[in-house]
Amino acid sequence: MQTEPTPSPMVRIDRHVLAINRLLMIVSLAVMSVIVFASVTIRYVTDYSIPWAEEVARYLMVWLTFLGVGPVMRLGGHVAVDTAQDGLPKHVGRAFRGAIMLMMGGFCVIVAWFGIAYVQRTLAQTTAVTEVSFAFVSAAVPVGFALAIWHLLAIVGGYVAERRFETSPDLDPDDAGAV
Amino acid sequence: MTATVLFAVLILLLFLGMPVAFAIGLSTLAAMWVQGLPFVALAQKVLTGIDSFPLMALPFFLLAAELMTGGSLADVLLRLAAVLVGQRRGGLGYTNVLALTFFSGISGSALADAAGPGAVLIRMMTKSGYPAAYAAALTATTAVVGPIIPPSIIMIIYALQDPRVSVLALFWAGVLPGLMISGSLLAYNFWASRRRNFRSDGEPVTLRLALRTLFRALPALALPVLIVGGIHSGAFTPTEASVVAVFYALVAGRYMYGTLTWQMLPGILARSAFMTASVLLIITMSSAFAWVLNVVQVPQMLSNWVGTLQLGPIGFLLVVNLLLLAFGIFIEPLPGVLILVPILAPMAFALGIDPLHFAIVVIVNLTLGMVTPPVGSLLFVTAMVARVSSSALNRELWPMLGLQIIVLALLTLIPEVSLWLPQTLGRR
Repeated sequence: MQTEPTPSPMVRIDRHVLAINRLLMIVSLAVMSVIVFASVTIRYVTDYSIPWAEEVARYLMVWLTFLGVGPVMRLGGHVAVDTAQDGLPKHVGRAFRGAIMLMMGGFCVIVAWFGIAYVQRTLAQTTAVTEVSFAFVSAAVPVGFALAIWHLLAIVGGYVAERRFETSPDLDPDDAGAV
Repeated sequence: MTATVLFAVLILLLFLGMPVAFAIGLSTLAAMWVQGLPFVALAQKVLTGIDSFPLMALPFFLLAAELMTGGSLADVLLRLAAVLVGQRRGGLGYTNVLALTFFSGISGSALADAAGPGAVLIRMMTKSGYPAAYAAALTATTAVVGPIIPPSIIMIIYALQDPRVSVLALFWAGVLPGLMISGSLLAYNFWASRRRNFRSDGEPVTLRLALRTLFRALPALALPVLIVGGIHSGAFTPTEASVVAVFYALVAGRYMYGTLTWQMLPGILARSAFMTASVLLIITMSSAFAWVLNVVQVPQMLSNWVGTLQLGPIGFLLVVNLLLLAFGIFIEPLPGVLILVPILAPMAFALGIDPLHFAIVVIVNLTLGMVTPPVGSLLFVTAMVARVSSSALNRELWPMLGLQIIVLALLTLIPEVSLWLPQTLGRR
């Protein structure tokens, strides 16, 4: 039996980061669906509705979105218009992609940084129904974009060289990003 | 000045090939810098942009569509279409159009139609000897009805942008235009099948087989009735209807058809979650973009300028159509709705155009952007599945797209096509 070469510690950590990130996204969507469905069903059967259902589901959707920024990027799921890159000489395309990665990385850093400032401002606010600090919600912005920096670093080489992303049955880059 | 920076940076970044969501976000950031707005406001705007319960219909409809594809609800609809129209000449072409039209009644998105049952149909057609480019073009153009026939994710987003229209009124208003698009493609398939001598497919259908197929398809056919009927009667909000669709698809796939297994769930959830994150990021960045547009008063400036042009309602609609067709070549329908509707809808209303009529024109137009070359997400999907080059696909595409432009022109000039059904049902 063949054994795979032991991956470097960095690769192992990266696998865990991605696996946990993906799991949190799945759980957010599943819990959201169950909460809203339960709330509708219970309202029909008993005339009572779960008061916190809508709020909790909304905040799970917020977390799902920002947790997804990085993993979607890894799989090439953020739709882009590649026509110009494909029509120009290879080295020009590479220069374009280098510039894109720099700017996207910079954008993630800026949003994560000012996201922290935003969290600090919302520490004292509380959510309407569940009355927890709004920082639990607003933290999704800096956490999501900080994770996105991690995921961006994981693909930057392959992307700049030949617009290569990771592949996974979770997402087909050709049918993502639009409805 | 700020508005110039906003659009110039956006166009430059899109040209470089930056993902749309990031291009919109970065151009917003650049404009905020020029305008001297604090960056922390962007962090706030991207959060509040998706903190919305009505928006939750989007992940739920995406999840429902994934479950229906996994649970063979799509397959039974396909078989029903094949039994109804499969035996004549060009039968698989008719089957394609009819099956996707059925499926658009349970999915809210064009890509779900093209990537799910659409991909199956392309493979069936090429295996039976149809030209692959013809199959791909027919599937791409038919998938356009996905967001026009209810339920529709784009219509839900539209209703959030323009308080003058309700989701329900939009749903009813989309039915006839959607059927017109499907009808025009059925007619085109009739013509193309004769001219190019496509074969007829399938065995003769016995009444027994037809009834059995119809019976098996009933749970799938009941779903659109449940969704639209539930919203119409006031039993559910659109978001609640979408989550009911999720659990209906789960139960039907697991217990009625038995093709959905629990092991498939994590994969289905992951695919829907990835798709949701990708779409919601574009939505929330677009809402920040629209916010900056508002801060620098672009809508007011534009409507003043349009006021000086002295356009009548028809002239305005024609200008809007040209603008949107140009815009739709590069931009997906969702950012289009989010950025342009808050600007254009008040102008249309001021000119006395019915908001519902205007909404349908905008939605059909932007959706056609998904099948206009050179850049159209539906074209990418179907060209991939059919393994044809985009130039081969485009040759087959033009006549079909031309027919749809004619439908769009009819919708623009005859408001009753959109308004008759909602008015008759008393849902204005």
